[in-house]
Amino acid sequence: MLERRSALAATLPYRSSILQMGEMCCFSLCQVASKEAALPAKVGTAGEYKGCTVLRIGPSQFWFIAPHTDDLAAELKGLGAVTPLSHSRVRIFLEGDPARDVLAKGIPLDFHKSAFKPGMFAMTGLHHTPVLVHCVSETRFELYALRTFAMSVWEWLADAALEFAD
Amino acid sequence: MTAFRRLPAGGRIDRAKPVTASFDDKPLAGFSGDTLASALLANGKLLIARSFKYHRPRGVMTAGIEEPNALFTLGEGARTEPNIPGTMTDLIDGLVARSQNAWPSADFDLMAVNSLLSPLFQSGFYYKTFMGPTKRAWMFYEPFIRRAAGLGAATTNADPDRYDTRHEFCDVLVVGSGPAGLAAALTAGRSGARVVLAEQESLFGGSLLAEADEANESWRASAVDELTALGNVILRTRTTVQGLYDGNLAVLVERRDHLNPHAAKGQPRQVLISLRCKAIIHATGAIERPLVFSNNDRPGVMLASALRTYLNRFGVAPAKRAVITTNNDTAYDAAIDLARAGIAVTVADHRTSIAANVAARAAALGVAVFPGTGIADVEGGKTVKRVKLSGAHAATIDCDALGMAGGWSPVVHLSSHGGIKPKYDEAIAAFVPGGFAPGHFGAGAVIGSFGFATAITEGAKAGASAASMAGFGKTRPVLAPEHVSDSTYSILPVWTPPQTAKGKAFVDFQSDVTSQDIKSAHQEGYQSVEHLKRYTTLGMGTDQGKTSNINALAMMAGHRAITIPEAGTTTFRPPYSPLTMGAIAGRGAGPHFRPRRLSPLHDWHKANGCTFIEAGPWMRAWYYAWAGNSPEAAYVKEMELVRKGVGLADVSTLGKIDIQGPDAAEFLNRVYVNGFAKLPIGKVRYGIMLNDDGVVLDDGTTARISDTQFYLTTTTAQAGEVMSWLEYLLQCHWTDLDVQVASLTDQWAGMAVSGPKAREALQLAFPDADVSSAALPHMGCRDITFDGATLRLLRMSFSGELAYEIHVAADHAIPLWEHILKAAAPLGIKPYGLEALASLRIEKGHVAGLELDHRNTLDDLGLGKMAGKDKAYVGKDLRFREKLQAPERWSLVGIELMEPDKKLRGGSILFSASDEIKGHGRGYITSVTWSTELNKFIALGLYQGGLKHEGEEIVCAFPLKNEQVKAKIVSPHFIDREGTRLNA
Repeated sequence: MLERRSALAATLPYRSSILQMGEMCCFSLCQVASKEAALPAKVGTAGEYKGCTVLRIGPSQFWFIAPHTDDLAAELKGLGAVTPLSHSRVRIFLEGDPARDVLAKGIPLDFHKSAFKPGMFAMTGLHHTPVLVHCVSETRFELYALRTFAMSVWEWLADAALEFAD
Repeated sequence: MTAFRRLPAGGRIDRAKPVTASFDDKPLAGFSGDTLASALLANGKLLIARSFKYHRPRGVMTAGIEEPNALFTLGEGARTEPNIPGTMTDLIDGLVARSQNAWPSADFDLMAVNSLLSPLFQSGFYYKTFMGPTKRAWMFYEPFIRRAAGLGAATTNADPDRYDTRHEFCDVLVVGSGPAGLAAALTAGRSGARVVLAEQESLFGGSLLAEADEANESWRASAVDELTALGNVILRTRTTVQGLYDGNLAVLVERRDHLNPHAAKGQPRQVLISLRCKAIIHATGAIERPLVFSNNDRPGVMLASALRTYLNRFGVAPAKRAVITTNNDTAYDAAIDLARAGIAVTVADHRTSIAANVAARAAALGVAVFPGTGIADVEGGKTVKRVKLSGAHAATIDCDALGMAGGWSPVVHLSSHGGIKPKYDEAIAAFVPGGFAPGHFGAGAVIGSFGFATAITEGAKAGASAASMAGFGKTRPVLAPEHVSDSTYSILPVWTPPQTAKGKAFVDFQSDVTSQDIKSAHQEGYQSVEHLKRYTTLGMGTDQGKTSNINALAMMAGHRAITIPEAGTTTFRPPYSPLTMGAIAGRGAGPHFRPRRLSPLHDWHKANGCTFIEAGPWMRAWYYAWAGNSPEAAYVKEMELVRKGVGLADVSTLGKIDIQGPDAAEFLNRVYVNGFAKLPIGKVRYGIMLNDDGVVLDDGTTARISDTQFYLTTTTAQAGEVMSWLEYLLQCHWTDLDVQVASLTDQWAGMAVSGPKAREALQLAFPDADVSSAALPHMGCRDITFDGATLRLLRMSFSGELAYEIHVAADHAIPLWEHILKAAAPLGIKPYGLEALASLRIEKGHVAGLELDHRNTLDDLGLGKMAGKDKAYVGKDLRFREKLQAPERWSLVGIELMEPDKKLRGGSILFSASDEIKGHGRGYITSVTWSTELNKFIALGLYQGGLKHEGEEIVCAFPLKNEQVKAKIVSPHFIDREGTRLNA
């Protein structure tokens, strides 16, 4: 198989005892779009479908995220117009108590525990670029950034999290 | 002799923690809890500044954010920050402060000569003398005047400190932490609502911090303790609410200098917080006004409330004697506290009758009270020496300090930021908020309630209302403790007391505006408060007239014989107090100013001698070191490589869009001017789309992947716009079409293999794939699999040579690029950059971003014939408007330089050979390059009448370099007009 190289291959790792932050590779992302598809996703809350996380990102558009790199598009065939997007986004996780603080520095969303709860996600902007933020647990967030902006987003995050670094 | 001293005990300072700062290069001792201003006073330093225009000696006048005089330059080198009020500066170890606007020192200031020349510096002097008919005089004098009058100087070095921004949300924001604010925050907090309490000082308590009453202090302390214990309340000190905006957005700036923030550890010096609130409680309190009399600016003349604050909060008091001049009861709080501390106090009260209980309280402590008495003059050059009273008790009294109690001005600023004008309240002789926006509440002094008990009651009520508004119904309101009662105010405003002495009587201390200046403004006709402000500069200093505005407009109202509300106020705008630019910029500076967009091949380029060029957000590969060390040298070699051999270029920045659905072909057929309905599977077509105004939006190629799927590409610059346009058309206009679109710009990388040896290169790289002309003809497309990855081969050419684009999922881009370079190395393949890419297309006569500038029509670009005659497409009708079809429109031409020893330059203005070289000419050059094929400079341009003038001689003028060169209009297709190379 032709080798894969991440957009963040050249970055330095972020090290902190209270905040883990880094790239999560090895996932598959497909957009499924259909005017008819009845898929398990509400606005702003992640759903689940055959082992995939389902995020409704538009009126008739859904993201399917699978925790593997198999041919997800083939699995989803027939649900609607399927567009593989695994290479288009870089997935960055933040885990630890300061995660909400770091995100609040750049994203105009309420990151209070009572407001942004596990399972919720939002399409928003960070550092002038579009990102999708998914709250996976109370202390863990996964952020999907455009691949071509990923380096800037990572550098911004690492700088924002500098005060929590070792 | 020391006019002020530190008392042996008392105050909210921590005497166990001595602090040493530096003032004017000498050590300045104080304690933790001191401000720079309190430490200066404690050390007997009264004269610490010189005034703006007259260089008059000045001292600390207030104890808060309203300070007009005690402004200092803090920090050194790149950390230099001018004009910071010492009253708001925590005294910390290592703090470096310097006086400003004085040379060589505040105490001995040579510029004080300005004071003698003061007739020259009255309001309006500059305008009349220098600005009128002889503007040149101003140009000559301005630098000298600017040097003589002014504040501190900012550094031009980059700020080494770190600043940060945060977005926060809450149910209830409480601005100010006096009795009203504490009661509001606690009542709202008890409901469970998320509360933010913002206090600009270093401690919570507001006016309570100036008191010495133990019962009040215990109420304050227990309120703060309970707030601290509540998990749903965020307490912020040293945080100023700088502005309120639509949608209940508050902008707060928090100062953290006292924590000695370490930039390299990511600790910000200041944090700008965008706080979105459901409800806002204004508990901003009030600021005391000075009184206007001769020499009221001498060091030692202070607000009466400031004297009280320095005494009770900082344990700093006048040495022996103080005089207080007042028009209301609140001055007696200061007088009584000073008397208790053993200072001899005289109160000169403008009012002839004083309430018996007030007089009795004063008398009990030996305070001398002179009713019906004002101040005639202040004597003493550099500090107050004695005060001459006027009126009923015209005595002269030696003293160390003079307190001014001119009444209180509610801090209405924030309530006015949304556009609600303050209204005048006759009973308290002050402006109060003219109302509150929905979700806003007021409590305490800001709405004119100066009593402690009332402030608590109002605060609790506002807190409960705000919480309820935010959806928290039940709370337990804070009650005023039983011992508490409201003190009396009883103000009798004396806006313009008779001036018997000749000294200057200041209204705006910071801008050096006197009562005489206001009179002059009136005489000159600058009678509206807005004109008064601009004519005298009143209220235009860094303190924004917090102590002076009301006095000034009351005086103007007096001159005009109108009421104060008729005179009105000037407009309050954010920020409430000066902000450092760093706080606004936050971390959005240097490399984080804006994001950079990187191609999936970026890391390879970087490691392999590429020089980059910014193109919009993109960092694009400009040229490579193998070809030369300058763009001029390199691009020519890279062009030759493509014309004669084979090159590899990164075209990943092109916009790419997946179009799917049963109606995909119909959709594209409507979007593009040319036909796409019948594009065969496996074929690529060049297409142009128009805006709905008939002007060209973008061009690109689209391949048909299947019956229901297309792969569309756009130019780099228009990728986002085209995507939005397609979504808009589908979602708003053609909801009947079953089509889905998705951006693939980030999903796919693209690389162009170009040159006569391109096919050979492909064969070497992908030996298992059939890339013959039969299998993959010009404008053909097919997907192949290579090492497990799907590659999309599109045979099309931007350069005019035999060329292919290979698109691949982005993470595979670098391995694939390296594979091609390695496999085709025997052919001499090398990378070429953007400069060569753009030059090759100019030779071929392809239009690009520079020509597709949203102003040109299809016909302007010579592409009118592409449009379908019998089909509908976006922009079709407007395309045929008369003006868009005018024969004399500027349209695309090729240009060849006729003078071999000269240069063509991009942007040159075009004239016909017989024109006078003047004005906008007949067109301009859009793109220019050296042609390796023709051995001359060639260009694309827009020219009036276009190719009708083919063969004519023109002049290309470049006024910036004063160049004019002769050139010839030619076809824009400089090479291979028949397309033999493409089809090879």
